[in-house]
Amino acid sequence: MAATDLPAPPENDAAKAGFDSLEQAASWYATLRSEDATEQERQSWRDWLAQSPEHARAWAHVEAVGRRFDPLRRSGREAAVAGIEAARRGTVGRRQALNGIAGLFGLGLAGWLGWRHTPLPEIVMAWSADYRTATGEQREIALADGSRVWLNTGSALRVDYRADIRLLRLIAGEILIQTAADDAGRPFCVDTRCGRMQALGTRFSVRHDEGRTRLDVFESAVEIRNTAGAVQRVDAGQRADFTGHIISALEPAEAAREAWRRGVLLADNIPLGQLIDELARYRPGRIGVAPEVAELSVMGVYPANDPERALAMLENTLPVRVRRTLPWWITVEAR
Amino acid sequence: MSTSDHASQSSVELLYIDHHHWLQGWLRRRLGNASDAADLAHDAFLRLLAAPRRFDSVAQARGYLRTMANGLCIDLWRRREVEQAWLQTLAARPEAVEPSPEHRAVIIETLLEIGDMLRRLPQKAATAFVMAQVDGAPYREIAHRLGVSERMVKKYIAQAMLQCALIEAGLAP
Repeated sequence: MAATDLPAPPENDAAKAGFDSLEQAASWYATLRSEDATEQERQSWRDWLAQSPEHARAWAHVEAVGRRFDPLRRSGREAAVAGIEAARRGTVGRRQALNGIAGLFGLGLAGWLGWRHTPLPEIVMAWSADYRTATGEQREIALADGSRVWLNTGSALRVDYRADIRLLRLIAGEILIQTAADDAGRPFCVDTRCGRMQALGTRFSVRHDEGRTRLDVFESAVEIRNTAGAVQRVDAGQRADFTGHIISALEPAEAAREAWRRGVLLADNIPLGQLIDELARYRPGRIGVAPEVAELSVMGVYPANDPERALAMLENTLPVRVRRTLPWWITVEAR
Repeated sequence: MSTSDHASQSSVELLYIDHHHWLQGWLRRRLGNASDAADLAHDAFLRLLAAPRRFDSVAQARGYLRTMANGLCIDLWRRREVEQAWLQTLAARPEAVEPSPEHRAVIIETLLEIGDMLRRLPQKAATAFVMAQVDGAPYREIAHRLGVSERMVKKYIAQAMLQCALIEAGLAP
C-alpha cells in the first residue's frame, strides 16, 4: 500500500533544512528545464550542486519525482492532462485518507502570547478556555465522540458536550473541524460571538477575529444562524463571513483555510499584503507592508511555523526586502 | 506461522462468516452492482487479514467494516472516473493505442498518485507541469496554450515540483 512506501517523517530540524534545499532544487529544475536556459545558468546550478551534500540529495530527489511521470509518456500528453485533471478533482486525496494526519510543520512550536492587539474581554475569556494555542503554536484535539479539532495560532476554544448537543465555543482565532457521526445523534455546533454554526456534514473551518466570523466548508454543509436570527446554508466549496447582524454573500472556499493544519501558508495569486497579514498571525511582534508592494501578486507554499524563512523566501522571489527596525518590528518594502 | 498468526487468521475467518454476506449486501446497495460489490467485499477482508484487529461487539465490527468499505467505494469511483477521462482522450487520438492491461493499470495508478500530489495546485500550474513532464513541451508552447507568460510557466513548474517533492519527502501530506 502507498502509505507504507513513504519515508519515515524526518525530525523537525531536518524537515526545515529539507524545505530549504528542496525549494532551491525545484527552482533550478524549472530553470534548466526551459528551452532558454543559458550556459551561465547551468554553471550556477553546478556550483549550487557542489556546494553541499544536502543540495545533491535535494536534486536527486527532485529528479526522482520527475521520473514518476515516465509511465505516462507512451500514451501522450493530452490523455495524461485529462487523467490527472480527473484525479485532482477527487475530493479526498487517497494519500490523505490513508495517512490521516501527518502534518509535520509547525505542530507544537511554543511561542508566547501575542503582541498583537486582542480585545481585553477576549483575553480574559481565553484564559478560561479549555484549549489554547499561543502565537505560532498549533495543536490537534481528539474529542470524546471521535471528532477532531485543529487549533491554529493564537486561538482559544471551549468544549461543551452535553446530553443533547455537541457544542464548541470559539472565543478567538481559528479552528478546523472534522466531525464524526454521533451514536446519540446529537447535533454538532460551533458558537462564536456572531452566532451559531450547525454542521450538517463533516469538514469545515471557522475563524473569529475583530468581531467577525468566517466559515469555509470543505465537505458537506454547515448552517449559520447569526445572533440577529438570519439563516444561511453554506455548502462544500463555499465560504461565508458574518457578524451578529449580517451574513455576506457566498464565495468560493479557500484551500489556505485548510492548509494551515499542515503548517503551510498557501498563496494562490493573492496580494502580498494579505499573505503578510496571515504570516503576522504566527509571529509575535509587528510586520508591516509598504503600500507600493502590498498589491504584488504572490503564489506558492510558505512554512507558517517559520516566519523568518517565509520572509526570506519572499525576498528571493519578489522585488522586496525585509527591513528590521527592531527585532519584533519588521517592514516589507520595495527593493 | 506462529500460534498468534493462527489465532488472528481464524478470528478474521469468524468475522468473514459473520459479516461477509452483510457487507456484500451493503456494498451492492451502495454501488448498484453485484460484481464490484463482491470484489470490494473481498478486498475489505484481505485488508483485515493483513492487519487483524479485535472487535468487542457486532456493531463495532460492522461500523469498522462499513467505514473501510466506504473508503474502498470512493477509491473505486475515483479510479473509474480517471480511467474514463484518460480513455476518452486516448480514443480521440488519430493513431490507435492499445495498452496492455498491465500497462493500463500502471498508468491509472500513476495518474491517481500524481493527481493526488497536484491536487492543491491551481489548475494552470498542474497542467503546465504535466505538459512539461510528459512530453517535454517547450515553455513557449505551454505559455501559449495556457495564455500566460513563459516566466509564469517557469514559476508554475517550480511550484508544482516543490509541491510534489515535499509530498514525496513526507514533508507535506
